[in-house]
Amino acid sequence: MMVLFRRTLLGLMMAAIALPAQARDAAGLQRDVLFGWYDLVLELVRHTPTYSPPVAARAFAYVGVISHEAQAALDPAAQTLAGQLNGLTALPVADPGLEYDGAVVLDAALGAAMQEFFGNTGPTGQRAMAAMRDMMAARVDEGLTPEVIARSRAFGLAIAAHVGDWAQSDGGAVVQNMGFPYDYTFGEDPKDWRPTSAISMQQAPLLPDWGKVRPFAMPLATSCPVAPHPAFSEAPDSEFYANAMAVYNASKALTPEQEEIARFWSDDPMLSPTPPGHWVSIVVQIARRDGLSARKTTEALVVLGVAVADGFIGCWHEKYVYNLVRPVTYIKRNIDPAWETLLITPPFPEYPSGHSVQSGAAEVALTAVFGDDFAFEDATHEDDGLAARSFSSFTEAAEEAAISRMYGGIHYPFANANGLEQGRCIGAYAAGLRLMK
Amino acid sequence: MKFWALIFLPSMALAEPAVPVFLAETGGVTAAYEGDYYFMVGGGPAVFDCNGDRKPDLYVPGGAAPGSLWVNESPVGGALAFARVTSGVELDNVTGAYPLDIDGDGALDLVLMRLGQTQLMRALGGCKFEAANDLWGFDAPADWTTAFAATFELGADWPTLAFGAYIDQAASAFPWGSCTDNLLYRGTAGRFAAPLPLTPSHCALSMLFTDWNGSGLPSLRVSNDREYYKGGQEQMWHLEPGAMPRLWTKEEGWARLRIWGMGIASADISGDGLPDYFLTSMADNKLQVLKGGAEVPVYSDIAGKRGVTAHRPYVGGDARPSTAWHAQFGDVNNDGRLDLYVVKGNVAEMPDFAAMDPNNLLLQGADGVFVEVGDRAGVASMNIGRGGAIVDFNLDGALDLVAVNRWEGVEIWRQEAALGHWVQVALHQPGANRDAIGAVLEVRRGDQVERREVTVGGGHAGGQLGWLHIGLGDAEAVDVRVIWPGGVAGDWLALTAGGFYDLTPAGAALWAP
Repeated sequence: MMVLFRRTLLGLMMAAIALPAQARDAAGLQRDVLFGWYDLVLELVRHTPTYSPPVAARAFAYVGVISHEAQAALDPAAQTLAGQLNGLTALPVADPGLEYDGAVVLDAALGAAMQEFFGNTGPTGQRAMAAMRDMMAARVDEGLTPEVIARSRAFGLAIAAHVGDWAQSDGGAVVQNMGFPYDYTFGEDPKDWRPTSAISMQQAPLLPDWGKVRPFAMPLATSCPVAPHPAFSEAPDSEFYANAMAVYNASKALTPEQEEIARFWSDDPMLSPTPPGHWVSIVVQIARRDGLSARKTTEALVVLGVAVADGFIGCWHEKYVYNLVRPVTYIKRNIDPAWETLLITPPFPEYPSGHSVQSGAAEVALTAVFGDDFAFEDATHEDDGLAARSFSSFTEAAEEAAISRMYGGIHYPFANANGLEQGRCIGAYAAGLRLMK
Repeated sequence: MKFWALIFLPSMALAEPAVPVFLAETGGVTAAYEGDYYFMVGGGPAVFDCNGDRKPDLYVPGGAAPGSLWVNESPVGGALAFARVTSGVELDNVTGAYPLDIDGDGALDLVLMRLGQTQLMRALGGCKFEAANDLWGFDAPADWTTAFAATFELGADWPTLAFGAYIDQAASAFPWGSCTDNLLYRGTAGRFAAPLPLTPSHCALSMLFTDWNGSGLPSLRVSNDREYYKGGQEQMWHLEPGAMPRLWTKEEGWARLRIWGMGIASADISGDGLPDYFLTSMADNKLQVLKGGAEVPVYSDIAGKRGVTAHRPYVGGDARPSTAWHAQFGDVNNDGRLDLYVVKGNVAEMPDFAAMDPNNLLLQGADGVFVEVGDRAGVASMNIGRGGAIVDFNLDGALDLVAVNRWEGVEIWRQEAALGHWVQVALHQPGANRDAIGAVLEVRRGDQVERREVTVGGGHAGGQLGWLHIGLGDAEAVDVRVIWPGGVAGDWLALTAGGFYDLTPAGAALWAP
């Protein structure tokens, strides 16, 4: 993605030099704006400390909504999401008698969205945001009158502010201590989750109240409950034990490709764009490959953002209902005390698999936008040394993401299978959003 | 022979270690580490004797401002006093500094890491220096240099230098994944050859040549900042004389670790006779001990078990995670056990990390667990720290502390009085490697032997050469032995407490301050 970002910047600079004002390419400018800011957001989400996967998904949803509304406001055929998303009220309306520039509106709105949702990033992220703002402004303002620029920027900012205000009330706006509570009472049953990390901060589970965050399109966090898992048991002849053995046996016979799959979908916070960011990256790659318009790309991004954000809310609600012990704890206790996982076990309860839920939601959302059997190549992690992988459909990718967690030793098979189903249920709400009239 | 296994015997007293008392006393040093974005890392001081009086002097990098050299005029056992001197090292854009006798003339030269071309400064005596890049054929690129280590490879008549580079300055608006090449310089007959790139490079903030398995052949550990690399991890390079450096690999046992690596402190804490490594980062810090035996570099993190995660402030009420930079082991209370000093400070204004982030002074107890006493000892500074040092400025046997801060003046804490017995030694040998870099100092107490590597590198962007301090507790004397570079073991030498000793392959000589 870094290569793509640099290409965007170079393109912006070259275009700013070469493009005469009268040849203003409105559609191209909006694409540049959208791709430029989304390239940056995929870095900011990696380099802003609070951005664990649920928090990242929330940001992707809001940034997607802002992108959509900034374009929909100037497009008579587009449908606002106000009234469709929980709690989102009518957005500012453009004055039909005045001229606005769509690229400037979108640029202003996305620039404000970055500050709203990534304002706590470090000095390098701040510097990058400022650089992007300057470069984008130089590009999109060219050839416009000061009045149009000012009016368009003010309008874009107003849209972002409206969405930002809405975001403040969802229960997820404030994340303290990276999302780890200072105090936490553990369950005492053998089935209950126990910390799996030696890291001090991770002796309490991540975001135990995230299931209380207001969903976007899904009516309630409980609208798509996950199916119950097999009854917990430590008996060797139990179904639960068999699932743990499946994880254990997989780890002992892992093929090179299975290890590659585990690492490809691992998407560790602060070392990757996070799992929801991985799906956003897929959309951006498809959009570039297929030369999609800003409008079509935004359609995918907003539906995807809402799907994965709701996916994490629904998943996290269930995680703290079931509060299930991780395979590493169970296997060390019952099967092999010396067993170690391929991937680092995340610091929160096991059931259901967050990767699976959000991937199931993404699958349904993106299939609704692009169709079944939509093939794509995913080079999200090329900069990190992981080769691109090809998929024949979003379903294939989602299922690989789900099973990757068993290869990594992170989840039982039932957590992946049931998680996918929960995610597909959640994703249907996002897929049902009306974006055009 | 046993190493330090006895520290875990349950029969030993587990009383809390004696807490030293420190007095804030800059001795007139007023320097600060200045600058904004390009100086968010760095700030390591060099501590060394530049005028031959055997007292440690202090070079402070100024960041965007000129660096400054402060001559130590402290009376023995008295209040600290420094005088700023014009020395030729008042360069700007210096990110850190290490002393090293590059040309083997007996005078410590200075390596000034910079934003821009790194500068080697040749000592002329009397705390005067001249630029020596051309003289020594040192061809330095205009990088953002942030890490340094030096060694003398077996048979070499000229040091081998490793430099760690940070972000590509040309990519500063989008720096992620832009780490520039670390470089290795070898040389002979008074000149450096063209550098070898240590590719892949992952934005190094600390490097250390270290004989991790006691083989006699050091490797190069590199601690990298995961904020900026892609596909990176902590690294260790094979360094075989005359051969191209090559990474220790997964197949050789090297396990992937990805942290905000900022500093390396090394000492034998586990008592296995081999170096352990404290790695500073954001939130939890690491204390790595070898678990795979000397055959493979497989490490366990025992920071939690030993009480040195130092992951959040312990005083001041700010519960957000810490940001750690310089780290160094030293026996500050002279009880015979190494303690740990960590300099802390927010990157600048990162809201998810502690703004009030006190430095740590962690005293090792008899059970091997460290206890935080920074506040009680009087060194819990809330300034935005970066570099640091543990050093006995006034030669009274009680270690003092230094912290270099962003935008605020250097802090120095003089220890009021030594709490136990001590000796200090300096190693000297003929030839190019005058200060015996790569030697191992063995300290024997009863049937316990602590082994200390003599290194140049590590910490955060700064280092020191000079007296090596050994705490003795109540002991009146101690046996020490030097394994000289190349592996020749000297004789065991009985040193009486309270003395300064020059150790050479021929024996020990008492020096009086």
